[in-house]
Amino acid sequence: MKKVRRRALAVILLAAMIVGLTGVFILRLVRDGDDWASFPSNGNAYSGGKLKTGKVVDRNGTVLLSITDGEVTYAEDRDIRRATLHAVGDKYGNIGTGAYRVFADELLGYSTLKGLYDFSGEGGTMELSIDAPACAVALDALDGRSGSVAVMNYVTGEIVCMVSSPTFDPADPPEISEDDTSGVYLNRVLSSTFTPGSTFKLVTLAAAIENIPDLFSRDFHCDGGFYVGEDWVSCAGEHGDLKIEDALGLSCNSVFGSLALELGAETLEKYAESFGLTSRQTVDGIGCAAGSFDRAEPDSTDLAWSGIGQYHDLVNPAAMLRLMAAIANGGRAPEMTLHRSSSKAGTERIMSSTTAQRLSEMMDYAVTINYGEENFPGLEIRAKSGTAEVGGGDTNAWFVGFLEDPANPYAFAVCIERGGWGSSSAGPVANEVLQALVD
Amino acid sequence: MARLGELIGSIELDAGALPAALPYITLVSRYLLPALALIIVVRCAVSMLSGRPQSEIWGYITNPNGGRTNLTNWENVVGRAASSDVVLDYKTVSRTHAALTRDAEGRWSVMDLGSKGGTTLRGRPVHGPTPIHSGDILTFGGVAAVFVASTASEEQERAETREMPGFRVRAGVTLLFLTLFCLLLTLQLCAAAGDELSIAVPATFLALIVIIWCCYVITRALNRRGFEVETLAFLLISVGFGVTAHSDPGVLPKELICLLAGLVIFFVVGSFLRDLGRAKKMRWPIAAMGLLLLAVNLVTASSIFGARNWLSIGSISFQPSEFVKIAFVFAGAATLDRLYARRNLVLFVGFAALCVLCLAAMSDFGTAAVFFAAYIVIAFMRSGSFATVLLSLAGTVFAAFIVVTARPYVMQRFATWGHAWDAPNDGGYQQVRAMASAASGGLFGLGAGRGWLHNIFAADTDMVFAVVTEEFGLIMALLTVAALIVLAVFAVRSSGYARSTFYAIAACAAVTILLFQVTLNVFGSLDILPFTGVTFPLVSKGGSSIMATWGLLAFVKAADARQNASFAIPLGRKRLPRRERKEAEEE
Repeated sequence: MKKVRRRALAVILLAAMIVGLTGVFILRLVRDGDDWASFPSNGNAYSGGKLKTGKVVDRNGTVLLSITDGEVTYAEDRDIRRATLHAVGDKYGNIGTGAYRVFADELLGYSTLKGLYDFSGEGGTMELSIDAPACAVALDALDGRSGSVAVMNYVTGEIVCMVSSPTFDPADPPEISEDDTSGVYLNRVLSSTFTPGSTFKLVTLAAAIENIPDLFSRDFHCDGGFYVGEDWVSCAGEHGDLKIEDALGLSCNSVFGSLALELGAETLEKYAESFGLTSRQTVDGIGCAAGSFDRAEPDSTDLAWSGIGQYHDLVNPAAMLRLMAAIANGGRAPEMTLHRSSSKAGTERIMSSTTAQRLSEMMDYAVTINYGEENFPGLEIRAKSGTAEVGGGDTNAWFVGFLEDPANPYAFAVCIERGGWGSSSAGPVANEVLQALVD
Repeated sequence: MARLGELIGSIELDAGALPAALPYITLVSRYLLPALALIIVVRCAVSMLSGRPQSEIWGYITNPNGGRTNLTNWENVVGRAASSDVVLDYKTVSRTHAALTRDAEGRWSVMDLGSKGGTTLRGRPVHGPTPIHSGDILTFGGVAAVFVASTASEEQERAETREMPGFRVRAGVTLLFLTLFCLLLTLQLCAAAGDELSIAVPATFLALIVIIWCCYVITRALNRRGFEVETLAFLLISVGFGVTAHSDPGVLPKELICLLAGLVIFFVVGSFLRDLGRAKKMRWPIAAMGLLLLAVNLVTASSIFGARNWLSIGSISFQPSEFVKIAFVFAGAATLDRLYARRNLVLFVGFAALCVLCLAAMSDFGTAAVFFAAYIVIAFMRSGSFATVLLSLAGTVFAAFIVVTARPYVMQRFATWGHAWDAPNDGGYQQVRAMASAASGGLFGLGAGRGWLHNIFAADTDMVFAVVTEEFGLIMALLTVAALIVLAVFAVRSSGYARSTFYAIAACAAVTILLFQVTLNVFGSLDILPFTGVTFPLVSKGGSSIMATWGLLAFVKAADARQNASFAIPLGRKRLPRRERKEAEEE
């Protein structure tokens, strides 16, 4: 009998297994329950494919989207509806990165403890970090051109402006054909990549600062371009004799093209990679598009062009924004978020503080000698422009940088597709949205 | 009269205000239901598992050195091994030397278990079972020992002093909590259904409460006090009815009838098990009946939802494989004297293999796996040999591999396993919806009758854990699993002082079947194990399953040797009701 008694413990093993597997389930529930509950086929959360409840407000508490009993209402102001469309999303869920889709669990008021139980029937409220009026200003400044405007508070990591154009009014959606190519549903800030042009010179410059000891004492010369073997790499100007500070400020292709040849493709790739330009960045778990940097043959024009943001270089605006925030933050990239937050963001060091300091000073110098401080009244702006050739004589206009101002710690990245010159076309857009935010 | 009219008028007014109060009913009772369930499970667990189990003492053996060892079971092994019931640590005594067994009438016998040194009774060698009497001198490998059986008055005295169930936790009070649970659940269901309320819902729950109390009254009338197994089972039944009341209220009357039938099976099987000799004799006829049932099923079965495990007689359709579980436990259990006979185990292995093969042929792989788990536990308890168990395990895994690769339908289930979210509208259709709904419920649920998952096919059977989590909350869902674990631990504990290994093995096999069903049901629907479509005992909708589960619970009752606890155990030296005891004293 005693023997059988001991052997009966086999049943306890089975019971222990159940306890263990239950533990696995509870862990998964705590970890993924929000995604499970907001799964679009969950009839407790959706009816007819649309969320049952929820509210999205901007950082000022302005209601951008509100759902009661499956009835969706958007912001009252049409400009705000259009400017915040990509951040908020539409009720059909066509915008895959909109809050309606990705923060559905928060709209539903989900928590592990109470699930979707909702006595009031009002659902949850999701507070976006964006400033809706500033977004409207940015959209207005884009003036119908395709492109993206992104601004982040580099202390808190909050994205305060995220505008993508073209856009539409979600309260009155136009007919958009199946084979539409404008990418109207695409949030360009998160989901697109563009040729970076001269903004990429910051990467080449960082690599040069850390790998070429005599960089700052060197004398450079520009004849409006230079030869690689028998092929000509052109510069936008004939800059004559210049120092590295001037080379960045005037965005000299001759200097940066030759630096690229000197540094080599591997080094450039390494810096692009460590700056997060070639990997997939995330904002609250939303995966952004990854940029790319292809290694060109040594001593080729391709290599020279790849160091000045042409060739096959592609950069995602959010990744560029993060890089600007890192330079502003002494080399530490803050964790980006779309949730309103007042606490300091967690950071990841992506460059040394001395390199960040050098880049920052030279971007300041670029504003002084090239972009003109008078174009940014009242702003302690440090920036770099980019005019990226995209074929057919068209250029993407970039203007990226940040404010060296503890009271207004904003980093920004503006990109206008086929928008002409960087500083003259994208610069004013950056100025307008920053003025709106600083006010 | 006028005042009365006024009063009635005001009542009507209140009734009109009731709908406004409806959401509050859910709001509050959401917390009360799991709290009540927790109280019920904890009270049962304390009653079943607290304190040291007090063994019965049926006699003793005095050793040559004057020490004495109590015989606490009807079946005792004498041997040198520490795991023997009577340890005689002498070199001439074999590790497992002899068996001392008692039958229901109090007749003892001794039997040699193939020892080297041999066993003698009053100087004569003993081989097969030989009757012995109190005071007989036995030798085991030359070591002399005296056997003394307890006298009737000794047994009576012990019966008087042993603790009875209900001493620490009163079963009646636990039942009051269960009644409150049922009432609150009914109220919540009625509030949720509103105008679409089917009268079957409150009627079924009222009938359930009546049935529960009738069972309790019957138990007390039989002078038995153990009611924890039944209470836990009724708790699961009421949760299951709560799910069905929302998903398929039309079948509630049928479920109720099946519950009654299940209770009849419970009492019949339990009473049948009282007599160990009879139960032993009927083992193989019952096993043969089980196989026959499976064979008939295999030949005539109609295929319902993939598995051909349904049998239809007229308008009634049922799953024979559910009832074969009872036969399986019967066939697997063995008394101590049979434990050491290889032939018996071989017969059982053959029987088990046939059962599993039949089920596999019906494509009912979930049930086949449940039978197999029970087989493993039975084989281990009978042989104690890991080698046997591992060997059969390896063989089965191999066979399963062939089956899985041969059958695309099973193959697909395995392909989806662990990747349900990669195929949310295909292979993982049910699992992802189960998980989504489970997450929706949180700790306290959305309220009975307020979930959505019941719209998905087989939600109230194969995914019932998720429905319970959705509507009643995670706490309640975990408590349903906990209730069965408590039952299992109780069976293991009982098997330590059950009168015969027959009861011990049967009880462990029965709870193994229940636990393994829970494992496959719960974790299959949550994509932690392959989704096989096995029922959750008593909670899943399904008459056959409810009936068979009550049959299995009878085995747990038969192992419960606490004083005056179980109707499935003859009282023998019973503790008399207080009044009769008083009268006896006065005499």
